This record gives sequence, C-alpha cells and structure tokens, in this order.
Amino acid sequence: MVSVINTVDTSHEDMIHDAQMDYYGTRLATCSSDRTVKIFDVRNGGQILVADLRGHEGPVWQVAWAHPMFGNILASCSYDRKVIIWKEDNGSWDKMYEYTGHESSVNSVCWGPYEFGLILACGSSDGAISLLTFTGDQQWDVKKISNAHTIGCNAVSWAPAVVPGSLIDQPSGQKPNYVKRFVSGGCDNLVKLWKEEDGQWKEDQKLEAHSDWVRDVGWAPSIGLPTSTIASCSQDGRVFIWTCDDPAGNTWTPELLHKFNDVVWHVSWSITGNILAVSGGDNKVTLWKESMDGRWACISDVSKGQGAVSTITDTQQTEQ
Amino acid sequence: MRLKEIQRTAHQAWSPAGHHPIHLALGTSAQQLDASFNTTAALEIFEVDFSDPSLEMQLKGSLPTTNRLHSIVWVNFGMGADGTGGRLVGGSENGTLTVYNPEVIMSARADADAVVGQSDKHTGPIRALDFNPFQSNLLASGANDSEIYIWDLNNFSSPMTPGAKTQPAEDISVVSWNRQVQHILASASPSGKAVVWDLRKNEPIIKISDHSNRMHCSGMLWHPEVATQLVLASEDDRLPVIQMWDLRFATSPLKVLENHTRGILSISWSQADPELLLSSAKDNRILCWNPNTAEVIYELPTANQWCFDVQWCPRNPALLSAASFDGRITVYSVMGGSLKAQQQSTADKISSSFDTMDPFGTGQVLPPLQVPQSTLQDTIVPPLKKPPKWVRRPVGASFAFGGKLITFENPKQAPVQSPQPVPRQVFMSQVTTETEFLQRSRELQAALQSGSFNNYCQAKIQNAKSDAEQDIWKFLLVNFEDEARIKFLRLLGFSKDDLDKKISKCLGKSFQHNGHGVDAKDLAEKMQRLSTERTEEATDARTSGSVSPADFFSHTPQETSNFQIPVSCDTDGLISQALLVGNFEGAVDLCLNDGRYAEAILLSISGGEELLKKTQQKYLSKQKNSISMLISSVVTQNWRDIVQSCELDNWKEALAALLTYAHPEEFARLCDTLGGRLEHEKTEKRCLQACLCYICSGNIEKLVECWASQRESSTPLGLEDLVEKVMMLRKSIERLRNSEVAVQSPILAEKLTCYAGILAAEGSLGTAMTYLPENTDQPGIMMLRDRLFHAQGEASVGQQPPNSFNRANVSTAKPAPAAAAPKAQIMSQYQPSAPAQQQPPLPSVFTPQPAPTNARPGLPPASQVLPPSAARPAMRPSYPQHPAPAPGFLPHQPFHQPQPMLIGGPSAFSPPGPPMSAANLSGPPLQPSSSTPGGMPPMPSPGVPPTSFMPTTSIPSGPMPPSSQPGAPVPMYPGGLHSQGPAPPMASGPYVPMGSGYPQGGPGAPAVKPFPAPAVAPPPTGPQEGWNDPPAVRGGPRKKKVPDNYTPPAPITAPVMGFPVEAPQPHDHAQVPPGAPQEPSVQLLQQLPAERVEQKEIPAEHMVLKSTFDSLVQRCQLAARDPQTKRKLDDAAKRLGFLYDKLREQSLSHNILNGLHEISRCVASQNYQRGLEVHTQVVSSSNFSEISAFMPILKVVMTIANKLGV
Repeated sequence: MVSVINTVDTSHEDMIHDAQMDYYGTRLATCSSDRTVKIFDVRNGGQILVADLRGHEGPVWQVAWAHPMFGNILASCSYDRKVIIWKEDNGSWDKMYEYTGHESSVNSVCWGPYEFGLILACGSSDGAISLLTFTGDQQWDVKKISNAHTIGCNAVSWAPAVVPGSLIDQPSGQKPNYVKRFVSGGCDNLVKLWKEEDGQWKEDQKLEAHSDWVRDVGWAPSIGLPTSTIASCSQDGRVFIWTCDDPAGNTWTPELLHKFNDVVWHVSWSITGNILAVSGGDNKVTLWKESMDGRWACISDVSKGQGAVSTITDTQQTEQ
Repeated sequence: MRLKEIQRTAHQAWSPAGHHPIHLALGTSAQQLDASFNTTAALEIFEVDFSDPSLEMQLKGSLPTTNRLHSIVWVNFGMGADGTGGRLVGGSENGTLTVYNPEVIMSARADADAVVGQSDKHTGPIRALDFNPFQSNLLASGANDSEIYIWDLNNFSSPMTPGAKTQPAEDISVVSWNRQVQHILASASPSGKAVVWDLRKNEPIIKISDHSNRMHCSGMLWHPEVATQLVLASEDDRLPVIQMWDLRFATSPLKVLENHTRGILSISWSQADPELLLSSAKDNRILCWNPNTAEVIYELPTANQWCFDVQWCPRNPALLSAASFDGRITVYSVMGGSLKAQQQSTADKISSSFDTMDPFGTGQVLPPLQVPQSTLQDTIVPPLKKPPKWVRRPVGASFAFGGKLITFENPKQAPVQSPQPVPRQVFMSQVTTETEFLQRSRELQAALQSGSFNNYCQAKIQNAKSDAEQDIWKFLLVNFEDEARIKFLRLLGFSKDDLDKKISKCLGKSFQHNGHGVDAKDLAEKMQRLSTERTEEATDARTSGSVSPADFFSHTPQETSNFQIPVSCDTDGLISQALLVGNFEGAVDLCLNDGRYAEAILLSISGGEELLKKTQQKYLSKQKNSISMLISSVVTQNWRDIVQSCELDNWKEALAALLTYAHPEEFARLCDTLGGRLEHEKTEKRCLQACLCYICSGNIEKLVECWASQRESSTPLGLEDLVEKVMMLRKSIERLRNSEVAVQSPILAEKLTCYAGILAAEGSLGTAMTYLPENTDQPGIMMLRDRLFHAQGEASVGQQPPNSFNRANVSTAKPAPAAAAPKAQIMSQYQPSAPAQQQPPLPSVFTPQPAPTNARPGLPPASQVLPPSAARPAMRPSYPQHPAPAPGFLPHQPFHQPQPMLIGGPSAFSPPGPPMSAANLSGPPLQPSSSTPGGMPPMPSPGVPPTSFMPTTSIPSGPMPPSSQPGAPVPMYPGGLHSQGPAPPMASGPYVPMGSGYPQGGPGAPAVKPFPAPAVAPPPTGPQEGWNDPPAVRGGPRKKKVPDNYTPPAPITAPVMGFPVEAPQPHDHAQVPPGAPQEPSVQLLQQLPAERVEQKEIPAEHMVLKSTFDSLVQRCQLAARDPQTKRKLDDAAKRLGFLYDKLREQSLSHNILNGLHEISRCVASQNYQRGLEVHTQVVSSSNFSEISAFMPILKVVMTIANKLGV
C-alpha cells in the first residue's frame, strides 16, 4: 500500500522541482521555479515551515541534505548556475557557501556518503561536474570535470561507501580506503561512472543504452551484496537497471526495466535499495521491485501519493 | 552555445524525433556558392555525436545529386521500428521532387538505389516542403505559380492538390501542416498572403493578409499546441517582424514580434516548448522569442553572417542548427556553456578540411577564412533566460527513511489562464510492500507483548505449511509448557501411552498406568514377581546373602529346599569354588567366559562397584546387537557416544535418550552435538532436525546459524520465519531463567538488524527499535538505532536519545573573512556547548572526519558521542551459566561434584565414619543431594511451578524394590524413586514437581524425570535465576507457596557434616543405586549405630511400634535357617532404625503413623497377610520418599515372618 500520511502545502508560487526528506525523515526540503527553497518540519504529521531560503535567481532544480553528522546542511542548485549550501545555526538557516563555477544551469546536486567527508557533486548543463569538498575553516576545495557530458549533465549520484562483501562497515579504528565513485547522466545519452584516483577524477566507465537524454541516475544503496546497481532513466522513456558483479567494477550489464511512453524524469531507490520509484511524464509515479527470479516488476502506480501495491508474481507482465 | 560546425552551403534537415542517433542531412543549396565555387551538388548525412566533444560531425553517407536544393525534409515515413531510416525529400531548383532513402545513402550500397521516387510535376523551384505530422506519408510541396501538391509517399506518382490554385499566381514560399488538425494545411507567398486549406473540402478556408503590403513572407508556422494560431515572418527589411495570427480573429495579427532590424529569413518553432520561437534575420542575429509574451528571451552568439535557415532539432530540444551564407552549418545549444573545451583544435580542423577540398587542383592550400572564432574564445555562453519546458522537472518521487515516499506533481498545463493559484503540494506517503510480513510481525509483536506465547505457538502449529514447520513450532510450544521433556519425547514419537500399549501387547498382559502414573499396588506385585524370578534365577549362583534391592520386596522362595553345591572341575564347580572363597572376580570371569551373562552380572552386583562396572563393560563389549549401544550408553551414562556415533536416521532416538537421561549439565551440549552432526549433512531435512535439537537445547545461536544456512532468510518473509522462532525460543528461555537473554551471536545480531531494517523500511519504526540488538558497538546497528530514534519524532520522547554520530564541525562560511563570526556562534546544534569530554566516550559510529572536524582551532573536538541507549539492564552472560547463589542460600553444588557422604541419611552419620565416596555406592556418579528431604527434588530450580511443592502425601507410592537392572530407565514413569539409581539427569533439572499430577514410583526407575531440558521454560516465578542457580526455590520468594507441612531442609553447610537435625528422611537405600552391591552399604549401616549420638526418645505412643517390630524381627531371626534370610533380617534390624528415627523426629504423617499402628496390631496378632495389605495401602497412599527408608524392609520382615510362621 502507498497511503498518504501527510500532505504538505508548500505555498510555492511556481512549479515544484524537488522534494527531499532529511536523513531521519523528519524534515522536508522543497524547491521551486519560484526561486525559493523551503524547509518544513514534518514530524508527527505536522508541516511547520522552518525556513524559506532565498538566494537563487532562477528556478531551483534540486535540493540535497547532507548527512546529519555534519550538522543540518542543505545544498540547492539552480538554473541561475549557482550552487548554494545552506546551514542551520542556532535554528536559523544561512548561506554557508555559494558556488558559481558553472556556466550553465546546475541540474543536480548530491552529497557523497558521509564516509567521504562533506563532499558535494554538482552536474551542470555546461557539461561539467564539480566536486566541492569541505576542507574546514570555511574553505571548499573545488575539482571540476570539464565536459563530463558534452551538452549537459542532468544527474549525479554517489556510490555507497561500502567495502564490498561486508554488510557492516569496518571498525572506526582504521579508516577503510574507500574508492570514491559516482555516476552521472547527461544529454549525450550516456551514463558515466567516475572514480577518484590519486586525487584526480577519471572517467571509469561509459554506459551506453539510452537513445536520448539521460534524465536521472541513481546508484542503489548497498545491501551488503557485492553487486553494484545503478538505475538510469531517460527522455527516451526507458529505465535501465545496470548491475555490476565483478569487484573491479568493469562489467556493467543493462537490463531494461521498462519503456514508458513519456519522458522519465526521476528515479529514486528506497533506503534499503529494494524498491525503485520512477517518476515520469504524465505525472506518473511507479514503484518497481525485483522479484526472486531477478526480474523487475511494477508493484504500484502512485497517484497523488496513493496507490495499491501488488505482489510480484512470476506471470505478471508489466504493462504501462 | 556552439556545439558542431561544418563548412557547407546547404539546406538542412534533422532526422525525425524518433530517429536515433541524431543525423543531419545537408543538401547543397541552390543559388549559393561556397568559397570553392564548387558547382557540384550532393546530399550528405552527418551524425551528430555529442559524446565526441569536438566540433566535428561525422559524415555517414553522401550522394551526388544532379540538382541543387531549395528545400529538404526528413520524413518519418518508412522509418524502421528501431528508429532509423525514413525518407529524405528534396525540392530542387528545377522543380524536381526527389525522395531518397537515407539508409541507402548511409550504407552506400551499390545494389540499392538511394532515390526511391522522383517527380517533375512542379514547374519551378520547390521552395516549400512539409510533411504531415499525423500521416507521415503525406507531404506538401509548393513551388512557383501557386503550385501546391499533396504527395502520398505510398503512391508517389499522382499528387493531389489542396484545391484550386489561388489567383493571381504567386510563388509559394512556405507550406505548413497544422500541428493539431491533420487535414489543415497553410501556404504562404512572398507577398505576405497566407492561405489555409481544408483538405477535406479541398478548398481554401481562410486567407490571411495584413494590409500593409510590406509583408514579404519568408516563413510561416503553426503553433505547436494551439490549432488556430500561426506565425508569419517577414523578410522585408522595412517590416522585419513576426506576426502572430489567430484564425479566430483573422483581421489583424494577434501579436507582432519586433526586434530584428532587418528582414527575417527563417523561423522555427520548438515542438518541445511553444514558448521558444527561433528567428534568423539579415541583421545577422538569431533570436529566440517567447511568442506568447512577444519578448526576446535569448540571442544566440552567432557569426556575423546571415543565417538563411534555422531549425530546432526535433529530437534534442536544446539543439538547433543554423545555415549561414558564409557556408557554415552550425549546431547550437540554447543551454549555454563554455566554448573553451571545443576551441582548441577548431582552426586546425577547418584548415584541414579545406586541404582536402582543394577545389582547383592547384595543390595550394587556401588561406583559412577569417572565421570569427576569436570572439568566441573563452566565452561563457549563458543559457536561455528562462529555462525551457524540457528542463523543468514536473514530477518527482523520492524515498525517505522509514519507507516514506515523497511525491509531487505539477499540473500539465501552465497555469496561465487559471485565476486560482495552483496548489503546490507535496505528498508524504507510507509505502508498505510486505503486507504478509507486516501482519506476521504484528502478530509476533502482539504475542511478545502480551506474553501469550502458547497461543501464538498453537496458531503457528495450526497454520504451519509443512510438517517440518509444524514440528518446529510444536517443539517451541513445548518449551512453554510443563513437563516439557515428556512432551518432547511424545513429539519425537515416544508416547508413554503408546509404549504402554505396545509393552502390554508384547507381554501379553495388561500394562497400564492409572492417571497418576503407576499404580503402586500393581507395581509392587510386578516387582515382587520380578524379584521372585530373579531370585530363582539367582539360585544357581548361590550367593551367600546378596541383598539386591529387589530383595526388599521379595519373598525368598525355596528357602527350605536343599541344594547341592557343585565343586567339580567344570565351570559350575569352579564358579562355586570361587564363590565359596569369595572370589567374585574369578567367578564372574568364569561366568562370562561361559556365556552366563546373567550370572555374571548378578555376581558382580555382589562383587562391588568396580566389578560390576567391569562386568558391564565386558558384557557390553561382547554384545553387538542393535540395542547394545543404547544399553551400554544407559548403563555407562555415556551419551556422548550416542550422539556422536548414532546413525543420523536415528536422531530421534538419540534425542529421546538425551531427553530421558542426559544430565542437564550436558544436555544442551549433547543436543548441540547431535544437532551439529545433523547440520553437517547440509541437507534441508537434516538441518530442520538439527533445528529441533537446538530448540531442545535452547541454543539460539546455533538455531539461527542452522536455519540461515538452509532456509532463505534474506527475504522479509524468510527472515520473519526465522525471527519468529528465535524470539519464541528466546522468550521460553527468558521465561525459564526469568531474565532477559542476550545472545551474543554475530549472526543473530545480523539477522535481527536486517529484520529491524525491513521493519523500518516498512514504516514500523518503533517495532524495529525493539529488535535492534542492544549494547553493540557495530556502527551499522548504532546508526540504525540513532536513525530510528530520531525518525520517530516526538513519539520517542522519553527514550534516551542515542547520539551516535561523531559530529563533524562544519562551520558556516561567512561572506567575508572580516566578518568571521565568533567561534561559539558557529557551532552547530550538534556541537557541544560544553567540552566534548563530558560525554562518555563511546565508539563512534562514524569515522572521524579529519578535514572538516579539526579545521578550527579552539573548538572542542567534534567527537563527542552520547552513549547509545544503554537504558536496559546489562544482559546476563550467555546461556549455560552459574550465577551467584541466591541470597541466603549456601552454594552447594550437588551436581558438579559427588560428595563423599550420604546426605539426608540418618544423623548417625558422622565424620569419623569410613570415608565413603558416592562412587562406592553406585555405578554412575551419585548425586548426593538427591536425598533432599521431604521428597524435594534434588535440584529445585528457578521457575518451579508452585505445584511442585505440594506435599507428597497423596502420591501413590508403593513399596518399590529398586530394580536390579542398573540404570534401566523407565522414562515414562517419571517421578519414581527419584533419588535412586544412576540418577542421571535430574540433578539440575529445572524442577521436579512431586505434585499429584506426577506419576510416581516407576519400579526401579532411575531418577529420570521427564522434566524439561535446559531449554525448557517453566513459568517465571522468581527473579533472576539461571539454569543452574542454586535451589533458590527454598528461599524467600517461594516460601509462601510451600505448604505448611513442608519442612524446608536446612542448607547443607559442610560436605560431611551435612545432616541437619530437621532433615528427617532417611533415605539410605534410596541412595543405593539398583545394581550396586549392597554389601558395603549394609556394612556401613551396621557401623552406624555405634556412631550415633544423642538420640531423642521415641514418643511413648509409638513405642509400641518399636517393640512390636523389634520383637517380630527377633522371632524371625530365631526361626530363620538360611543365611540369606538371616542376612535380610540383620539388615531389617538396622533399617527399622530409620523408622525409629522418624518416630523420634515425629516427622511422619498421621496417615503413615496410623498405618504403622495398624500393621503393628496385625503383627501382634500374627495376621501377616492383613499386615501386608495394610502395608500396601500405606505405601500407595503416601509420599514414597517419606517411607522408602523403612516400609520395604517392613514388608520383607512380614513376608519372612509369614513364611516362617512365627
């Protein structure tokens, strides 16, 4: 079942483009074409406007919450080519950092896993991806991958920082040597994987399957299995699930989840990584789950936050 | 931003929207010459590949054409399902309309003609071409002289006309199909007149013309979404405008888009966003309009050249191509960006492209044209001021913690006209996908909270989908019930009743128990018979006064018959001789050698413990039949062999044996061993059997491991299956131990964490929290706990907030360094206001973040970590344990070490007595405390149900001769002479209820109580008692449940001087295991009177008993002839002492005393038959343990007296 437990009236004056809950699911951040970012306290079914963040000069595309160990930090990106990092101090939200290094609309922001520190990836229509790393003392280190996607990067998503094969992270005594990786999707119809080597970001993989803009990518949370999974969706209506079983991360296999009749805007993995929410044109939201035999099936059509959930049967064909 | 560029003077056509990859077709333009003055014409197809960052486009195919083109379109018609192909249609300067197959052009196949159709219908240059967006086979073309044809690509030869030619005849500069209504076509002439045709009526339906006559129409387009609107562009420098018309008000333009300063050459309307209209004009500018507002929203950075053709890319809405008179085709993006990356090699590439073209064959390279790229160098090209529709995400769905889904959607249509503000809502939904899982989880949770475990297990049994599942639940259920061991046995298929029936059948006589178990009378009779038979058997042996326990209840038949003692040299003779000289060992060896096992055993019984053992060993080593192993194990108490070497098919039997016999100390381990063997087979069947073993032993960890190894436990339901069982087993153990059980098992912790994770994902945050393992330093678990805690919002107020983050100190960047705020102000709410060290340091969940955390000197370290919720009391250590004794109770450990004494024996026992270890008395280690007075079980244990302390007076208990079969278990006769025999497993059995509900008095039953194995949980009645707790039942909490007439035994304070005055029950023979040689104990007893000190007087009213019985014994002694009888009578004299002790202590119940007096009267009147009857009555109605010390001997004496006739 998908049942509405809270309807937040955002009072945005234009289209909402993103809505994200914080780590605990107690605060909701929204952003809109009205150039504002709003934060609501939604605990216990309430909706208290905590902050109305103004600073962008164009539509705000995405918001992203940092892990709470760094405090209450929110990043937003906008068509105004800016990335703003907001921080709450003593209950009030202020700009913590404003990044203006992109030459076109910044379409996507995503915080890296907390294990990597406070690091933000930003994908822009200028084709570049910026990586902002907090180095302390109000300083942010900026690394930029120019021309990551020739005519624009639409989405970035970090790989989980999990040592392959272990469910539970290594003891905190020694810091595991994580390899920082993320995935991006762009107007060149490509899904690209990036890896940091010796402090430099390098293109690791180039995944080709989409025939139009890749609208969103989502690297699935680790569920303790050595398999890495990425979902990508595209203007061409296709959603692909990419999986990689080899530890080196070199062989990625695409599986077509579904071909929709309209652009697919967004994919989002559940926290446990077993359900994929796909939102597309026609305001359609569908939920997908992998069956025991490894096939993906649509388990729910969500409309206005509501929907039934069907169980997966082997015979079920997913018609859209 | 410029993306691709190529040197061509050509008309352009993008591949259709469905076409992938994107191609651009270029047909050499008529009336233009490039710098090479090349007069050839070609149709070229380029691939626009943006993964290649260079400005190059890759030529995919080229076809020389005879004519130069005025117009070209790429039609969907004939396009394959894979999104390739279609048709290219070119309108040439001489009026030829040609249809090309672009695939043939690209594949350059020689066998196929790229030209699939050609027509010369038009008489002049074809400037206007458009294809129907609904029917891709329909193509409209316009040429000179008002010629308009509608072509059907399926039937290319005969075009139609939309109607009569308009007059006066004009050139047709544009044709355009309506985007909403498929039979509507518009045409326009340079004069500025536009005609709208209805192809159904085959006539023009409206003519549009502004009356300025300055309109020189270069372009006309229908609105992509509004059927009645179209725009006209004017090429006239005097009126460089775009007029927007609405056919509903066709008298004057709706809007006029004015910005160009010179005539407009080309327009293109984005099909992806109607708010984007491109126009290129002779003022060298390419503008992008919002036709709705008539404002210019973007201006492309273009070269200083006229663009005669601009076109949006149908597939990629951000792209457009522009063809300029300086011979370049350029692909732009309206999304902005930087040109740096692409500029590096541009000049070289352009030069090299000229190299290859060397048109005049001079071999001379033309100097590169002054392309205005320098102005673009390092230029940042901004995107459209307003984001186009296709980047404005209208919908979204994101998951959040706890299975929440955040969705929003925006109305499809822009809310321009709507006066009502559009509600901008975000929905927060709970997603639950595991309905069955949640349902079962709720049931489990309800059971756990209400404590109705039995009902829960019962329901599980009823609904079990498989037998194996049912078995497991039955076993789990039993753990919550009393008499678990019996029930376990029953579950294993060893039903007491069934067995009785089978035995009856086998014996050919009735073998039944009454409701209380064994009918004492019946038993007594049977034992008598048995003894008799035995005695008969033993006659051959002619032992001189072996007193086997059976003898107490037996007559000694053939008392008076004479017999011959053989002294020959054959085996009989040798045996006789050996016996005569007391060489038991030799006699036994001889018997064994001769295969006379029965005699050997009988003899060895008299020959002492060592000999008996040896004999047993020898016997058993020779016996190789199927039950010998079992017998051997029973006799030697060696269950390890059984579990280690039994056939796995016999696991049930092995487990039954363990349930029946195994010492509680070892029971769990043995069960585990058995389970381990089963598990090792790695088959599903065996693993389920192993699970049953682990359930019996209460080994949660092994259960989890075993289950997880065989069953799917990664799916929610699989995990639920496991967790249900684990929680029930855990609860049963907790119930038993009356304390929470913490199982320090990594795999269990993992499974529970996983389970909690699923619960959390389904939104059951509170429930998830309860399953999360406590007191762990696993970062993953601590994180989940922290997350669950905070996620519950105010619901969790009151819980201790776990703050398991190692909060990094991320300070707020201030705009200017000068404005750096005081540090304190910068602290986040997570940062400590007091030094971090105030918090007890705990392992942090998150690894420290060096960079962010330590940057600011003067700030406290960011590593304060609050303790994860440690609210719950520390768990007891893992399962088998020996907690400290309960207060007020002395820790004797009766079950761990045999004590060299007979506890509870007559108080005459004294330290100087011969050191007698338990081993002297019994084969198997004797449990000294088994003679707890008052019929108390030797090991009262926590959780003993109150009923187990009921006085035992009502228990039928017959005079039961201890069996001479050592260790022969009669497990179905629980509660027999519980202090008798090998007494194997009961020592620390959880409880030994002597309540009326318990069957009593198995003949010679070893002290096997079908009581719960360690895994068994009696109801928790006292606090904090573990399995092997000292018998705290005698302590305070239970006292009120002890009946008044129950005399609590005093604690045993010393290993030797262990005889409290109040300890009333002489139990000597009860101490002697059946089959143990009686001689030593008799000798011992003989010594005892001498050691006695300070006896109380027998109350006067009972003196008559002493005198009567003493005199009876005396009379018998005088009359007795054979030594065996004499010996028995000697023994009787001593044993009656126990009776007298009881009398002195006045510890006998009224009932017994009455019976004794009655017997005494019968004896006095020499009515021994009657006396025996009364005796039987007394025995059957009394607590056996109360009378076991003397009643049997009384019977023996009376029987002898009867026989002797004294």
